[in-house]
Amino acid sequence: MPDLSSSQICPGCGAPLPEDSPQALCPACLLRQAITSGTIIAEGATATAGPPPAVEEIAGKFPQFEILECLGRGGMGVVYKARQKSLNRQVAIKILAPEREHDVRFAGRFAREAELLAKLSHPHIVTIHDFGETAGLYYLVMEFVDGVSLRDLLREGKLEPQQALAIVPEICDALQFAHDHGIVHRDIKPENILLNRFGRVKVADFGLAKLIAGASEIESGQSAPTAPAAEDLTEAGRTMGTPNYMAPEQTKNPNQVDSRADIYSLGVVFYQMLTGELPGKRIEAPSRKVQIDVRLDEVVLRALEREPERRYQQASIFKTQVETIASSPPREEPPYSKTEGVQGPRFSRLAIVGAVWGGICVGTLLLMFAA
Amino acid sequence: MSACNSPSTLFATTRWTVVCDAARGGDSRAVEALGALFGTYWQPLYRYARRRGKSREDAEDLVQGFLAHLIKAQALRGTGRGKGLFRAFLLASFNHWMINEWKYASREKRGGGVTLLSFDWESAETSLKLESADERSPDKLFDREWALTLLRKTLDDLEAACRAEGNTSQFENLKPCLTLDSSQIPYAELAARLDMTEGAARVAIHRLRKRYRHLLKEEVARTLSSPAAVESEMQSLFAALSG
Repeated sequence: MPDLSSSQICPGCGAPLPEDSPQALCPACLLRQAITSGTIIAEGATATAGPPPAVEEIAGKFPQFEILECLGRGGMGVVYKARQKSLNRQVAIKILAPEREHDVRFAGRFAREAELLAKLSHPHIVTIHDFGETAGLYYLVMEFVDGVSLRDLLREGKLEPQQALAIVPEICDALQFAHDHGIVHRDIKPENILLNRFGRVKVADFGLAKLIAGASEIESGQSAPTAPAAEDLTEAGRTMGTPNYMAPEQTKNPNQVDSRADIYSLGVVFYQMLTGELPGKRIEAPSRKVQIDVRLDEVVLRALEREPERRYQQASIFKTQVETIASSPPREEPPYSKTEGVQGPRFSRLAIVGAVWGGICVGTLLLMFAA
Repeated sequence: MSACNSPSTLFATTRWTVVCDAARGGDSRAVEALGALFGTYWQPLYRYARRRGKSREDAEDLVQGFLAHLIKAQALRGTGRGKGLFRAFLLASFNHWMINEWKYASREKRGGGVTLLSFDWESAETSLKLESADERSPDKLFDREWALTLLRKTLDDLEAACRAEGNTSQFENLKPCLTLDSSQIPYAELAARLDMTEGAARVAIHRLRKRYRHLLKEEVARTLSSPAAVESEMQSLFAALSG
């Protein structure tokens, strides 16, 4: 625990307090705390359509489920926690793009894509149990992940390097598996990276960006019907509000992206986990912002290359690089000295489990408070 | 110059956007709003002048004269949407003033007809350390001190709000949490110190942090012509503090 009574050293970053610190608080940490959370608030506050349908409203449409609560609304739709009566198991029901209710073309694409996605069975990918359409609503029944999203963890700032180093390889596994099955996620971001109570990664919403955006036919080699795919994606992109994580080529030409766009997005997420910040226009090496193994700079910056050809070509290579660093002694060139030595990055499942539980506890408490 | 005290009631009218918009229309509100902003951010300018080798008296005169010059609206007329940052505008105009115009204005004239600013000049001298070699340029130090001024103002506002609610001691005890990741916060220890349950302490800390972030963003937004730039300005200020 940091000593809050000491007036010489910042309990947050361990650097000596400047003489002119406002209220004897470390100015850099004051600002850092506001920035990390601010980014998140700004994103969370992006415009979404009206309020999600009430639990009672949805319950009538899904008699085979007991709808328990609305878990939230994202760019891809509204998610409810439910109990599947027949199997007595908890599931998450995602209602996709309610505005597509009467879109016939969407119906066909939805059936094709959902079937593909339901075949993705991997320990680090949120399983799709079922999908369908009821009363004009397209829905996916998914594995319910009891835990928190990476976004919840990042809400309070950066992660410890060893936490990030344990999370990234599991995301890589999920991506490589999906890429091998011809599926690009297209919307890797902290909201879609879930951590269960054991600290295991579960990546959600594979392929949904494409499904919603309507670019599926192009990538699978079939010609698009008359759908103005790019415009659709812009629309979906705006609703999602996550351009910060998009690869440059994805912004420019959404129809032409391949698996390397996911590598880029993971690079952004990795950068944010390490530094608590999104990479700026001129990307600064993470080790210049925080004290970490300098070899991580190379990995992160490679994933963030603007040209897809210069990035890691496979998620598995990305994973190997991260694991190599995690399993060997750290190399540090600290930008500033700290009072305590930073531990070398190590796999620490315990640290993630702790963070996940912390996130759950704070979340529950806030919910109670809000209620 | 009562506006320099920048009471919270003036808040809505003291934004840089108001200065830009009002100045274009020749509106007197521009002067009022500018005065209020200046009241918060004059110190970095004064210290900048000192670092540029001006004596205490000259630096005081420069700052006094500069505001008078700005208020005459001549300098404001050209402020359009392009002048995004109040921080950048102020430093550029001040440099221009210091180099070109000030030398022509006679010392006797300065302040004539203008109420002298009742700034605490002495406080602006604190830990100026002109004698020690600092490789950072005066411009860099200006940005750094701007960030410090902004943080100081935000914390003072937060403290005043807490005091008004009778939570002075809570603020004093919990303010270090504003610099910590949540994993670093000793909730139990703070709860014991404040004679609260740990749950209540967590909520109090969460609320304080949220309120602080809100106030800080509001303060940053005051100095911008577009609210969309808040995040990037915060990043710049962070860089100025780290550099």
